[in-house]
Amino acid sequence: MKSIFLNYLNSMSSFFWITAIIMIITISIVVFSEAYGLNFVSTSFVKILGKTLCLCIVALAMDLVWGYCGILSLGHFAFFGLGGYMIGMWLMFERTKSIVIESTQNNILPLTHNEINEAIGTQIFGVVGGAEIPMIWIFADTLSIHLLLVLFVPGILAFIFGWLAFRSRVNGVYLSILTQAMTLGLSLYLFQNDSGLRGNNGLSGLQNIPNFDNITQAELSIWFLIASSLTLVVTYFICNLVVKSKLGNVIKGIRDNETRIRFLGYKVESYKLFVFVITAIISGIAGALYYPQAGIINPAELAPIASIYLAVWVAIGGRGSLYGAVIGAAFVSLSSSYFTGGQIPNINFGIFTLKWVDWWVVILGLSFVITTLYAPKGIGGLVEIMFRKKQL
Amino acid sequence: MNILFKIIISLFATVLFTSSLYASQNLKFENVLSENFKLITKSSSKTIDPVIKKLLNTNAPIVGDFLKKWKNKKLYFIKKTNSIVSLKEINTNGYELVQFSNKKNLGFFKKAEIKKIKPNSGVRSKISNALIGFQLLSTDVNIRVKGLETLSRKFNPEHLTPLKNALAKETNLKIKKRMSQLLIFGTIQYSQNENEIISSLKSLEGNLSIEARGVISSLLKNKIFVSSQKPNSPNLARIIIPGVTLKNSDGSSLKPSFYSNKKPEITKQEALKLLINGNYIKNYISPSKRDEILKKNIKNKYVENIPVETLKTDVARIKAYNVLVSLGKSPPLMTDQDIDTIINKHFFYAIYDEKSSKVINTAKEVFNSINHKVNFYKYLDLILDGLSLTSIYFLAAIGLAITFGVMRVINMAHGEFIMIGAYTGYVIQLFIPNHTISLLIAFPLAFIITFLAGVGMERLVIRHLYKNPLDTLLATFGISIALQQIAKNIFGTQARPLTSPDWLDGALVINDVLSISLIRIAIFVLGLTFLILLVLVMNKTRLGLETKAVTQNPMMASSMGINPDKINMLTFGFGSGIAGVAGVAIGLFSKVTSELGSEYIVQSFMTVVVGGVGNIWGMLAGATMIGMLQKFIEWFNPSNTLAAQTYMIIFIILFIQFRPKGIIALKGRASED
Amino acid sequence: MLSQLLKKLTIFTFMLLFGSKVFADGHSAIKIGILHSLSGTMAISETTLKDTMLMLIDEQNKKGGLLGKKLEPVVVDPASNWPLFAEKARELLTVSKVDVMFGCWTSVSRKSVLPVIEELNGLLFYPVQYEGEESSKNVFYTGASPNQQAIPATDYYLEELGIKKFALLGTDYVYPRTTNKILKQYLIDKGIPESDIFVNYTPFGHSDWSKIVGDVVALGADGKKVGVISTINGDANIGFYKELAAAGIKADDIPVVAFSVGEEELSGLDTKNLVGHLAAWNYFQSAESDLNTKFIDQWKKTMGDKRVTNDPMEAHVIGFKMYIKAVEKAGTTDVDAVRKAMYGLKVPNLTGGIAEMLPNHHLSKPVLIGEIQEDGQFDIISQTKEVPGDAWTDYLKESKVLVSDWKSLGCGMYNQDTKTCIQIKSNY
Repeated sequence: MKSIFLNYLNSMSSFFWITAIIMIITISIVVFSEAYGLNFVSTSFVKILGKTLCLCIVALAMDLVWGYCGILSLGHFAFFGLGGYMIGMWLMFERTKSIVIESTQNNILPLTHNEINEAIGTQIFGVVGGAEIPMIWIFADTLSIHLLLVLFVPGILAFIFGWLAFRSRVNGVYLSILTQAMTLGLSLYLFQNDSGLRGNNGLSGLQNIPNFDNITQAELSIWFLIASSLTLVVTYFICNLVVKSKLGNVIKGIRDNETRIRFLGYKVESYKLFVFVITAIISGIAGALYYPQAGIINPAELAPIASIYLAVWVAIGGRGSLYGAVIGAAFVSLSSSYFTGGQIPNINFGIFTLKWVDWWVVILGLSFVITTLYAPKGIGGLVEIMFRKKQL
Repeated sequence: MNILFKIIISLFATVLFTSSLYASQNLKFENVLSENFKLITKSSSKTIDPVIKKLLNTNAPIVGDFLKKWKNKKLYFIKKTNSIVSLKEINTNGYELVQFSNKKNLGFFKKAEIKKIKPNSGVRSKISNALIGFQLLSTDVNIRVKGLETLSRKFNPEHLTPLKNALAKETNLKIKKRMSQLLIFGTIQYSQNENEIISSLKSLEGNLSIEARGVISSLLKNKIFVSSQKPNSPNLARIIIPGVTLKNSDGSSLKPSFYSNKKPEITKQEALKLLINGNYIKNYISPSKRDEILKKNIKNKYVENIPVETLKTDVARIKAYNVLVSLGKSPPLMTDQDIDTIINKHFFYAIYDEKSSKVINTAKEVFNSINHKVNFYKYLDLILDGLSLTSIYFLAAIGLAITFGVMRVINMAHGEFIMIGAYTGYVIQLFIPNHTISLLIAFPLAFIITFLAGVGMERLVIRHLYKNPLDTLLATFGISIALQQIAKNIFGTQARPLTSPDWLDGALVINDVLSISLIRIAIFVLGLTFLILLVLVMNKTRLGLETKAVTQNPMMASSMGINPDKINMLTFGFGSGIAGVAGVAIGLFSKVTSELGSEYIVQSFMTVVVGGVGNIWGMLAGATMIGMLQKFIEWFNPSNTLAAQTYMIIFIILFIQFRPKGIIALKGRASED
Repeated sequence: MLSQLLKKLTIFTFMLLFGSKVFADGHSAIKIGILHSLSGTMAISETTLKDTMLMLIDEQNKKGGLLGKKLEPVVVDPASNWPLFAEKARELLTVSKVDVMFGCWTSVSRKSVLPVIEELNGLLFYPVQYEGEESSKNVFYTGASPNQQAIPATDYYLEELGIKKFALLGTDYVYPRTTNKILKQYLIDKGIPESDIFVNYTPFGHSDWSKIVGDVVALGADGKKVGVISTINGDANIGFYKELAAAGIKADDIPVVAFSVGEEELSGLDTKNLVGHLAAWNYFQSAESDLNTKFIDQWKKTMGDKRVTNDPMEAHVIGFKMYIKAVEKAGTTDVDAVRKAMYGLKVPNLTGGIAEMLPNHHLSKPVLIGEIQEDGQFDIISQTKEVPGDAWTDYLKESKVLVSDWKSLGCGMYNQDTKTCIQIKSNY
């Protein structure tokens, strides 16, 4: 009985459970929303929820690459950021372009292509002391290409990096450090102005979707919420499919004993590379959905610490179970914003006042140590134990 | 008797005369003061020169004193009477003021009644300049040195004679040497005698000081000209080909070599501008002017039958404009080829400001020979910079060499141990103001504190995770963010000062090109000490040998009577302790913040990984490579430090692909995970 | 009965969960949002401003509030995280329904908030010196624009100190980039050749300064006097000044004028070796006026004797007083009414003189240049008359033609040549 239920939980049906929960939340939010419903829920909360769903997607990717394949990548949030940058370039360029065209409508001479680009360049790069549009913005006026770039830029970077690393059999902690170095390098690159992506300032005003000027943020936030939840469901479905397939068994095998799998005749490197690239692409998609809701992306978002936090979410949620990753990301990120938001009253111990804003990170850090030591399977593991007890 | 009487009388008369002379001079002085009241109290370096001159011309004996007080912001003025006075003292009664010229006491004033006269540093340097004459003749050595210091900042032609006089009288050898040096600079700048200048120039050969180079290059100043004729001047500096030639620092020109990324001295655009300014091109129609003319000719949305909305490209606009030209409504456009031909027809060149070609040639010779030497020292300086960065990376990573390199434990909190060490230094300085003593206490104390922290962490957390290095990474990361936040909560996010003792202030100056701050030398020495210490501990002591045994084969080691538990604990503590000591050193040269450690953690790990895990010499090689590399990349692209770091990381990632085990890879059993 | 209770309970849960919109009760008080980071890297600077605001609000409440209502501060923590600034601003405007916001420090954070307040028609008072090239309908800039800080300081270098060669050192972000772009053009216009302008950018928190300081010293090798204009921000200053001192560079040899170093920053430094270096602001604690003495006393009484005052604090003081006056004048807290009432309002500066709110949403303020003293305070050696803040600089080709006038033109980006309003909303 016990095993049947566990299998039940672990098989496809965890997908249905998660789907059901996400759908219920999404629908109820829409019903209570400012734009399309009873006006109970504020737009800022809808945005927080939408962003959390995106974080759940990237957590799924992290779980696949780490929990199932055993590669502790400290670079997946960098892929997430890259996805955001790719969509951000289009959003920013197109919005500026429409502003420029609108503002020059009354000009006596119609603008040449160069003049339009010059005006866009001054508007976008004026704040960082530039005026010219760098080469990498060459496709910024075409949405379709940038949608592809959302997939390909993280994908190709992951492919090159993974190919080099797995080929020379960099493993375990070395690989983690190397991915961290990659993340640091990427964020430092983006931090500099010469990168052509506005350096420290990053890309902003991303919440305004070009050519949708008449649609309010309240409505847009709902659209993005729905898009995010659908993407999460699809990603969960794909991940579940991968995990349950033969491919899934192989990668779990690689996690548990790489040498043995290699001796069995599998091309371990190719499997790892596949998982690494696929998860990087998923992260990129999640980022492309996240940043239009956040409104601004800058290199600090890609800093190594962000990728480590991603690992923290997955670890607290539960490695090696997809629903664990989702729970972890949602739980930790929501509680983080709750505890640092200043809504929760401080606790006064007389001589010492516990300010949640100050001590939340300490608690998070220590709870993380405790999770690793005593609950290596995280919240997901606890859920399993709970169900197991009930069954007994 | 008679004689005595006469003498007394004459003495008396002299005193009377001189004092009355002084009195009249002082009166004159006071007059100048009140006449120029506004210019003195609200001074500007643009208008102060005549005032100083007038004051000096009064020849009043108090001028020197006045200037000195003025410069040192010791003068006040009374708001009501607009009179400039000096301060005797401040006490409970208020400000006690004295008249400047006759020392008459003016009584006490309230703070609101008076105002301090604050000359800005431009004015102050002009006052200092006026004081040079007084200072050079002073009997006090220090004052003479001060005078020379001012003179070295700004040498005016009128200083030549006083300096010559002072040099003749000077007895102190050191000052004499400095004086003759300054005299050489002064001669080169202001002498009218060509031979004197040339011999002075020659004496500067091999002199690397910034002053000398400044003086020589001021002779090599030149200006750019444009003309339709071939230049024919003996003082021609260089011929410029727009968009091609580069400028040398001695004024000559240079054709770029193909690998150089330097920009040409003037671009074609700039050449065009020069031609327009020089009236060699008239009626040039720039694209924006072209558009202006087009706009003026729009009638009913048409430019001569061409609809305005078609003018969306440059080609269309040129076409439309040419229609206007053909109708005689506007001057013709110039094509790019036209512009090129005109540029090629004209000569662009530079001519030295200095008239004498002999002087120019000598100056060039000396300048180039100095520059060769300067370049050599610049490379040396670069290497020293690299070494300094190397020692910092080495110091930051050395604790990791033990915990990660020897024990294979990833300690993400290593950076926070560095931070704890730095904060220990800061806290101790709060209690012990003497920087030397506090430092001497801080080093061992930082070691003890971080040693205990390390041992505690090993016992509580890491011990349970030896089997799973990835989990250690996660757990220690949790500790890392917790420690960082705790430090923030205790000390705040603001950077805290950790001040080095006075004897570590300043720099070791070899010449004006090559110098290195003492604190960096100290860090270098500290790094070296650690290296030796570590090698000795690891190879010669029982702890070191036992550690090696435990890491290589724990089972075997424990069967030999070694307690692996204890060894692991001690080794981890030792590595953490060293991080703490390094923290004190790093805090000394930069700043103490809660993020101090995290700034170094990634680099530290890379140092260990690049060098080769488990080998101290490898780590040294790794630190050297990373430090040197970063400085060299920076050197190629000096305006962007971030780019250097990015390229360095890319290089490291590539390097590890080709040498996954680092520069010095361990062979045999120890190399296997 | 039970269903009633249940309904209430559900509503209450929703309020707790989502920060409800509907149940935020009507305006019994005037709410003032304070949007300053209380944690993260910017906390050190911004916390001071939060405390200043709380002090000012408290003082006003003791005087009887505003329009017969109490003022109620709503403090949030955007945690030095730029996207979070936008999120919190939205929360303040839609959930807490504040009437006005005082906040932001870095330009990035301001640019992050801009779209939100322009969308929701909020009102923000921004108190920090910034790079200009912006004039939003919904922001009042109470800090200095470049012509109120950078340009006068450069003039001082050119005219008073006779500097011929310039090293523009900055941290790599918006403010230094734009300021240096303006300064570079300004210097070229003033006849300084481009080859005599050395520009360098370093990352936030940079610590390895030896090479850059060496490069600056080497600039003097052609005999021209070198001056440093520093837009280095935050902690990096400590390493920079330490290295300057170690290299034995005195203010008389190579002066450094800083635009981001004030009393607060100096309190973390040993100023012994920095005496004589310069800073340019619109306010120094050492300014002599009765208002300033009173303000410093009040600040020290509330916050402790060791605390110093600085320029952005003065900006908040002026901004707050102006807001109070504007609301009294308009008789309402409605954003558009208050905005219109703001123009032309006059409030005394703490340094003496009068600050006036101009139609381009900037203030007229005096420019002060101070020399660092051993006690960490500044000795004011130059003080100008009030300079009107300029939203669009006159020294860049593309900005020269632009003006901002929200009063009569109703436009923040108006092209004087073509006589058209280029755009109503800002760039971000």
